[in-house]
Amino acid sequence: MKKVIALVLATIMLLSFASALAEKEELILWSIAVESDANTPAYNAAIEAFNASSEEYVLTMQPTENEAYKTKIKAAMSAGAGLPDIFFTWSMSFLGDFVAAGRVYCLDGVLPAYKDELTDTMLANTTYDGAHYGVPLTMNVVTLFANMDLLAQAGWDKAPETYEELIACCDDLVAAGIIPFGVAGKENWCLSEYTEPLLVKTIGAQGLKDCYTGAASWNQEGVIKAMTIFTDMLAKGYFDPNAAAMGNEEVKQAFLGGKTAFYQNGSWNCGEVAAAGDAFVAIPFPVIDAEKATLYEMVGGPNDTLAVTASAKNPEVCAQIAFEMGRTIAREGNLIGSGLPAWAVNYDTSSVNRISASVADMVAQSQGMVLFGDNFLSAEQADIYLNYIALLFAGEISAVEFAEGLAAELQ
Amino acid sequence: MKKKFGYRVNILLFLLPALFLFISVLIAPIVMSAYYSLFKWKGVGPMTFIGFQNYSDIFTMKTVNAGRTLKNALLLAAFSTVIQLPFALWLALKLAKGIKGERGFLSIYFMPVLISTVVIGQLWIKIYDGDNGLVNVALRAVGLLGEKDMIVWLGDKNIALWAAFVPILWQYVGYHMLLMYAGIKSVPPELSEAAMLDGCTEGQLNRYIIIPYIKPILKVSVIFAVTGSLKSYDLIKVLTNGGPASTTEVPSILMYRQLFLANSYGRGSAIAVLLIALCFAFALLINLAFKGDDTI
Repeated sequence: MKKVIALVLATIMLLSFASALAEKEELILWSIAVESDANTPAYNAAIEAFNASSEEYVLTMQPTENEAYKTKIKAAMSAGAGLPDIFFTWSMSFLGDFVAAGRVYCLDGVLPAYKDELTDTMLANTTYDGAHYGVPLTMNVVTLFANMDLLAQAGWDKAPETYEELIACCDDLVAAGIIPFGVAGKENWCLSEYTEPLLVKTIGAQGLKDCYTGAASWNQEGVIKAMTIFTDMLAKGYFDPNAAAMGNEEVKQAFLGGKTAFYQNGSWNCGEVAAAGDAFVAIPFPVIDAEKATLYEMVGGPNDTLAVTASAKNPEVCAQIAFEMGRTIAREGNLIGSGLPAWAVNYDTSSVNRISASVADMVAQSQGMVLFGDNFLSAEQADIYLNYIALLFAGEISAVEFAEGLAAELQ
Repeated sequence: MKKKFGYRVNILLFLLPALFLFISVLIAPIVMSAYYSLFKWKGVGPMTFIGFQNYSDIFTMKTVNAGRTLKNALLLAAFSTVIQLPFALWLALKLAKGIKGERGFLSIYFMPVLISTVVIGQLWIKIYDGDNGLVNVALRAVGLLGEKDMIVWLGDKNIALWAAFVPILWQYVGYHMLLMYAGIKSVPPELSEAAMLDGCTEGQLNRYIIIPYIKPILKVSVIFAVTGSLKSYDLIKVLTNGGPASTTEVPSILMYRQLFLANSYGRGSAIAVLLIALCFAFALLINLAFKGDDTI
């Protein structure tokens, strides 16, 4: 009997040893795809597809909430230890700092295999000194969502098309006891989703880009005009009076629940807004100064990115995986409405929701685009920029002081 | 002589692990922060020595404004000392008298300390909600607020700071109460009995016997309340995130913003150094204020 037990135990040990040898190598992906993130289903689908097809590697995602993720990745990059193999990042200055510190693997060796599906425009925000460091996932633009049922209650059976119509519509909504706009005053980036379209439709996308790069001064007539419109809208009660104490999720739910008529935020919300009912539509923010801006000039661009750490176990393999993942996430994200694809669309898009499709149509007609200010600018500049917007929103400074302050501190 | 030397070496050897931990966990980070505060550094990449410029920047930059955050923290410390601690002492004195349901009340008052700060924050956000929050609903019910009016407690730059202080003070009343309650319970009963026999009233007993007896505990409570206020972060982060327009920002939130959002490790470290210096200074001041005979 003892011999039999010993034999069984030895067999089990041998089998477990053999299975351990056959185990796939684990690669770690850090992302912001927590349960509440709109892109999570796209990430899950991409990881599932990769793990099912790969015989050598298994990809494990370690998601962290958006704000906490910024702290986590910066702390890890600063220490240069405990880094994952592949990581989610925002493009431009956010990734640029890590690239400059030599923490990111250059993708130039792997990119040619995928170049047919990625245009230079989509790669531009992750290209530093001519070298490519990021795989774009989705592109997003600031989108003005409207609840047509609430507009109808204020006597509007069509969405406002001009700036004058938008103001008249807001006046009618206020008169009807409906709050025109919801905004999360607690999150400064949400405030910029209102100020940046105002700036783009007043001085044009190139004009705003020039302010960011320093080619033009912030202290100019167009900036003051756009920010005066913003403060006037606040003074006229166009924004939820509770806005300063609200977070973005609360504001979005208030809009979807029929409390506010408009909600301006990223196009990653398209799927959720479309699912809320037929009354919801996406419309372009009207032009304020027709001499400098056109209707489809927008704020946004390819921003969500995957990158490979220089310390990854097998960086070349990780780079290939990042591209494969990027392509799948772009496709899945487009299909579920959590973002517009940064990759070529060579699949059936008949299931794409109507709002995503309409935003994609607007983007196709766009004559100019400028990335979100907090991504375009360096982290230090973005902090100053967003805080000036918060000061303006709280009535601490005027439009003139906003323009003068940014000119003095950023330029 | 040789034996004495060997004895000292043994003591030193036994102290070494604790000394190593103390230096590596407490002293080294402070020294490193002080070092980083002299540089312009993004957290990654090269560092540029700029002397004490970060210290002047944090007070002169409009979007940093460390002066305001320090003022906010000092206000909170003052309110903790003037409102929270006397209230906690009053509760402790009442409960220690042996009232009915003493244990139950102790647990109830201590409960907020046990609840996660995020949960408390969310709870108070709902209480302060402009539309349907308990406070505004109550004010409307008693006619102090119009039916369609609202006070945006956490969003109005003039009142947000005070509104944010209330939950902070409320949360830790139970903590200080428990410390003081334990101190009062340790007062020898013969002292109180002797005083009562001499015709001492309850107020006199508290003033001349119990409060002087628990002076060391009061000192600890004051140090915890003041340094805790200077370091406060979590509840403000959940309630207002430092807004509106940074009016409720406290040094720890500003430090986090500079370190991890603005990528300015130099300025963030300068704020950290100031915070440490302030905490030490206040702890010393409180020790001096309580200096004297700790026993009666």
